[in-house]
Amino acid sequence: MKRTIFTTAAAMLCSTAVMAEVSVGNPMALTGPIPDLVAPMAQAVDLAAANVNAQGGMFAGGESYKIIRADSACDPVAAVDAVTKLINVNSVSAILGPVCSGATIAQAESVSFPAGVTTLSVSASSPAISTMEDGTDLMFRTAASDAYQGVALANLALAQGITEIAVSYANDDYNAAIAAVFSAAFAAAGGTVTANEAHEPSKASYRSEVATLGSTSDNLALFAYYGSGGITLMRNALETGAFDTFLGADGMLSDEVIAQIGAENMGNVTFTTSASDSTTPAFAAWAALAEGAGIPASDPFVPNSYDAAFMLALAIEKTGDDNRASVSAALRSISSAPGEVILPGEWAKAKAILAAGGDINYEGAAGNQDFDENGDVAGLFSQSSVVDGAWSATLIK
Amino acid sequence: MDFGILLYVLSLLTVGGIYAIFALGLNVQWGFAGLFNVGIVGFAAVGAYTYALLTTAGSTYHLGGFGFPLPFGMLVAMITAAIVAGLIGLICIRLRSDYLAIATIGIAEIIKLIFKNETEITNGPRGINKIPRFWEHFSEERFYSSWPLSWFGTPEAWDAFFNSLPNWWWQPFFASTVLLIMYVIYRMLERARIAPWGRMMTAIRENEPAARASGKNVTARRIEAFVIGAAIMGLAGALFAQHLRLIEPTNTFDPAKVTFLVWVMLILGGSGNNRGAMLGAFLIWTIWSASELIITGAIDLLIDIFDGVDMGSLRTRAGFLRMMLIGLLLQVILQKFPRGILPEVRPASPKGIK
Repeated sequence: MKRTIFTTAAAMLCSTAVMAEVSVGNPMALTGPIPDLVAPMAQAVDLAAANVNAQGGMFAGGESYKIIRADSACDPVAAVDAVTKLINVNSVSAILGPVCSGATIAQAESVSFPAGVTTLSVSASSPAISTMEDGTDLMFRTAASDAYQGVALANLALAQGITEIAVSYANDDYNAAIAAVFSAAFAAAGGTVTANEAHEPSKASYRSEVATLGSTSDNLALFAYYGSGGITLMRNALETGAFDTFLGADGMLSDEVIAQIGAENMGNVTFTTSASDSTTPAFAAWAALAEGAGIPASDPFVPNSYDAAFMLALAIEKTGDDNRASVSAALRSISSAPGEVILPGEWAKAKAILAAGGDINYEGAAGNQDFDENGDVAGLFSQSSVVDGAWSATLIK
Repeated sequence: MDFGILLYVLSLLTVGGIYAIFALGLNVQWGFAGLFNVGIVGFAAVGAYTYALLTTAGSTYHLGGFGFPLPFGMLVAMITAAIVAGLIGLICIRLRSDYLAIATIGIAEIIKLIFKNETEITNGPRGINKIPRFWEHFSEERFYSSWPLSWFGTPEAWDAFFNSLPNWWWQPFFASTVLLIMYVIYRMLERARIAPWGRMMTAIRENEPAARASGKNVTARRIEAFVIGAAIMGLAGALFAQHLRLIEPTNTFDPAKVTFLVWVMLILGGSGNNRGAMLGAFLIWTIWSASELIITGAIDLLIDIFDGVDMGSLRTRAGFLRMMLIGLLLQVILQKFPRGILPEVRPASPKGIK
């Protein structure tokens, strides 16, 4: 009995180690605080791999492009452990990023930087990621840094004629970071931040916080997740009449907010989110692919996930020999001009051009995906407000 | 390929060794003195943050970093954790077991909230990164261009030397350092266990009124065990920070992944037995980590067998499956070894004296 179990376990271990393919490690926060958000992102990654394999696979031999998924649980400990296994045991060519910023930074500094492996994150948005590298070029992401969204929101506030505002943010890494960027940008552009306070997520009542902040301004910039306190705080603010105008970012943008607060109370509410320009041919190509596979094309970070998985395949194809060390340079080369424009799903075309020694320039579903020197992309953002009881988004140009 | 597995085994030994140090610390408190400490995560966080603030290079994000030598950071991490434990001990140690548990849970949460909200000092929820890791840190410029390395070569020579090493060179050294620290603590605790101090601890744990009646200062001894255990946990916290290189208060110091896991390791290995504590730590961490490989392999095998059936959703759910299987395995092991795999051996018995 024991021997059977042992040999079965050994067989399972060995079957993860088959080398007849190009493999990429994909740690995603499958468990932890945000599994619902991650599930369609994982589907988008799988769709990109399926597109690659259906159109001739990798290299001349048509090797299969394999996504090895692991669980990073939005947690530095789990991410470091998962990436250690992916790099050492599964010998992956690159890491297709963990979802959360803390997990992304920890796995990079602890494991993948020392091993010289490139990380391409699908949704890590912390501004700290831009400056974390010291002489290497191994960190990339297809999601825009919060530094950009915070600035976009500050400009939006000033454009609406708001000159003084109170800031309240949930005390977690995402909301604290974007609040800091917003406050700095708003003050630098001539506005006045009257108060800037953290609140603990998931409290039953925020009346005391709202009362303190409400005495300083009628406008509130609220950075929170709608599911863990954001709605409660907004309701308390409206009940006590402390604020009448609200601004906020992705974390608050949900139909749940309208359902619970009521559209009639949300006349002066504007939330920004990172968005895709749905008028581009790249987005149209992606939307057609996503619809065919039953994936929600516009959900947060889902197009970014597809772009990341597709671009890593292009970069590895470009290296020609599946060499970890050259992935980073190849990633820069395939994503930016000059070169023939490649849209989502156009694998066979890209492969033919690369095989002939030509240059390509991938234009992604989530944006043009041209990396700057920090490996960041410029993001597009949209502003949403309530029109006729539903969110209505317009792109910020 | 095989070489990669060797590196993975090294990482298992490193993390297992860090957890073993946590478990040894808990063994002093629970195994020796019977103190129900459910606030391990608090002492781990104190150790990790102290170490991180003292040893990181200067940063605009948090207080310092002061760039002190790494051993100094680890030493101060131990001392800080000991001082915090001493203060808590003075107030709470008279509480009986379950009340002490409630108090320590609360204190651990308070410590975490302090680290989360004192943004000026700790960078709040965004955490501290670029924490130097032992051995690997020598290849950073600020270390190879200062003493002691600058006594042996110029910065340029060191830079060239480190570039000539394979990128995993520090891994065996870091793993050995963790294991060496673990071994030294083990030997010290084993000595303490067999000494009169250890026997007195057993007496206090088993029958407090009797120990008090024979003139033992029960309160002082319990504080002693609490402080020693916490200092060991503080050191483990400092090593944990080195391993992760980024610490933040919410997810890194999640009670379910520190406090709970260390308790399971100690109970499964055998509380009161130092070797049991270490065995439990390595065993549980190996199961925790390697189960992911086995489950991924199993899913691949299933996909190969049932070709054409869509198993994508199975992959996405593998994480939850893994948690459940680990829980199930723990149940089975604990049913089979109710007192732990290596049960406690009383020091007074002939078996306990070497």
